[in-house]
Parts: sequence; structure tokens; C-alpha cells
Amino acid sequence: MTDTAPAPATAHDRPAAAQDGPATAHDRPDRTVATWVFAVGRAYGAEDLAGAAGLSAAPVRPLAFAGLTAVVQDVPAALFGREALTERLSDPGELERCARAHHAVVTAAAACGPTVPMALATLYLGDERARAALTADAGRFRTALERVGGRVEWGVKVYARPDAAGARPGVPAGGVPGPDAPGAGRAYLERMRGVQRAREEGRSSALRTAEEVHAALSALAVAARRLRPHGPGASGERRTQVLNAAYLLPESGADRIAAAVEELRGRAGAGVDIETSGPWVPYSFAGEA
Amino acid sequence: MNGGRGGPGGGVEVWSEHSVPGPSATNLADLLERILDKGIVIAGDIKVDLLDIELLTIRLRLFIASVDTAKKAGIDWWETDPAMSSRAARSELLEENRRLRERVELLEAVEDGSDDPDGEDGLPPLRLRTRKREYPRR
Repeated sequence: MTDTAPAPATAHDRPAAAQDGPATAHDRPDRTVATWVFAVGRAYGAEDLAGAAGLSAAPVRPLAFAGLTAVVQDVPAALFGREALTERLSDPGELERCARAHHAVVTAAAACGPTVPMALATLYLGDERARAALTADAGRFRTALERVGGRVEWGVKVYARPDAAGARPGVPAGGVPGPDAPGAGRAYLERMRGVQRAREEGRSSALRTAEEVHAALSALAVAARRLRPHGPGASGERRTQVLNAAYLLPESGADRIAAAVEELRGRAGAGVDIETSGPWVPYSFAGEA
Repeated sequence: MNGGRGGPGGGVEVWSEHSVPGPSATNLADLLERILDKGIVIAGDIKVDLLDIELLTIRLRLFIASVDTAKKAGIDWWETDPAMSSRAARSELLEENRRLRERVELLEAVEDGSDDPDGEDGLPPLRLRTRKREYPRR
């Protein structure tokens, strides 16, 4: 009650032991902040990054290492320790907010030049530790920057619609006999067989379309990666995802992919949806695999 | 270093409502699979187990980006979900089994000398052989 009044929230510089409260080692690297790394590029100016909010109230700033530049931000260590952060990110709302904040910084950085995004929650106990770890991997970053420079990622997903079984060939046009009508059992079996057949046909045609789409778009792309299809039920999705892929294209390639997808849609016919997303910062092509 | 970091326990608002100008139209599943699964991974000081987070997310059915990862960890709800698999029927039996077993345990516990044969919330009164007075007092 009497010993520690709340410290004033204006810690603009780091005066040694200017704050009361539990003793923190202010003479050593500040243990109350951690360094969150968003992305790595060749060079960013402080003003390039000033617009991005990031995850804390501190500015998003460049951190030079080994001739490259990381995009980093100080975050309160107490809230970004292993347990606190795991717990936070385990909450869907917080996870989303954190993911979107991370993504917003990555996107802002990428607007300034080739950018390799880091996986979410790459954290260090201060700038020196961050610099050491980043420097140790400088070669990987250079290779990745070479790969993604001047390029963007497009996401393409192909879905089979559940209603796409179409005209339900097994269903008699004159309606279905009631459960007590004569022949109801046989009619039921017929119907089920028809539904089954239609479902199988729909499925294999959707899978064929998926392969066609992937082949056509891979031919356009500098690189292509198949991601794991999202399962049924994801985000309330009722369609079956048969392709989830990412394509690395030149920044100028938007028209080409749009045209190609339009043509593929025409060929795929009813029952199959082809959706695109992008341009993305090339997340899917940052890593080696 | 700078910015509005409060003192210890000062209640810093980390993510304000306005702190995320990001493209909120971006599909969350698309975004999560990219920033959890992709991006360059290097060793960090503060090890956050993204696997844990993924599993939770999967359980919440936000998305399934890493089915393989999840399988390795023994998570396979999609195989036991009635909406998704015929295996579910079996699992429903298992579930019923489990409930029955619990019930039996409860009954046995009651028989072991509770004075409250009316059972716990929601369960019908249990009328058992009430030999409890014959048990030696501990």
C-alpha cells in the first residue's frame, strides 16, 4: 500500500533506477522489455516504419545487423514472457489481434523493399540478443531476400461445393414416396445410391480441377507451394477444399494470374469454386521448404 | 525503451482497439497458416510453443493448417467428430461407456458409506443396499 505507488507511465528514456517498484536490473540490459522481430530486409529508414503500430506503444524501428536490417519493436517483457504470451496467443481474439498487428507491420515493411517475414512470436531479451541470432542466420536471410525480391505471393484455393452433386440422378422426378408407401425401401436405396454416385463424381471432378489449376498456375509462377487444405468446418466452411496453394509471381503479375484464374473458372464449370487472395508478402516462400 | 511503458503493474495497454490498422479483410485462416506455419523461423530467446497455440486453434476450429503436426501430437478430433467421420459412432459408444463407468464408480462410492443416497446434482436418488451401519467406523 505505502511502499510502491504506481510508477508514472512516462518512461521516455531509461534513467537508471528512476522507477520504484520491484527491483529490475536497470544497470544491465533492460529486462523489462523484449525485442519482437517482425521481418528482415536490406534497409529501412525509421520513417518508413513510423506508421505501423505493432504490438506495443513503442515505435516500430529498424535494427541493423550484418549488412541487413530487421524490423523490431520493444514489447513489455512481463506480457511477452513464455507463459504470458502462450496464454495470450491461445485466446482466439488475442491471437487474431496479434496476428493482424504482426501482419500489418510486415506489410508496411514490404512496401519499402524486399522483405522476409518472420514467424509469429520471434522474441529476444533485448536488441543485442536479437542481433546475435539474426547475424547467425544472415546467410539464410540473404538467400530468402534474393528469392522474394520484387515478387509477391498469391493464394489460390479450390473448393468443391456440397450442393454440386448436381441433379441428384437417383431421385425420381415425381417426388419421393412416403415412408409407408409401397416400394419406399427400394426407392430409398436407389436414392442413396444416386446421391453416393453423384458425390463421388463431384469429388473426383473437383480433384481433377484442382490438379489442372495447380499445373496452370505453377507454369505462370516463379515458384509454387501447396499448403495443407483447410479441413471442413474451418471458419464455418461447408465446401470441401481440394486445393490450397501459394504462387510466387513478379509484382507485375496480378493481371496474368487474374486472367488465368478466370479462364480456369470457365473450364471448371459449376460445382467448383476457385478463389484467390493476395498479393501477400511472400510468407510461404520465406523459408526453405 | 521509450513509449508509454508504465511502471511495474502499471497496466500498460498493449493492444489498443486502434493499434491494428491491418487489412482486417484478410481471411484469418489464410493469415494464421502463413504466420504460424510459414515465415522464416529462427531460434528465439523466449520460446513460445506455437504448437500449443496451433492445437488450441485447431480445437477451436478456426482452421486446420497443420494437420500433420496435430496428428503427431495425437490430436484427431476430426476423426471423432460425428459430422466428419463414421468413426464417430464408435467414439460415441466409448463416450457412453465412459459415462457408465463414472456412474458405476459413483454408485460404488455411495455404497461405501455415504450418508447421502440422494446423490449429487441431477442424478436420481440412489437406493442401494444400505449396510453402512455395519461398517466399522474409521
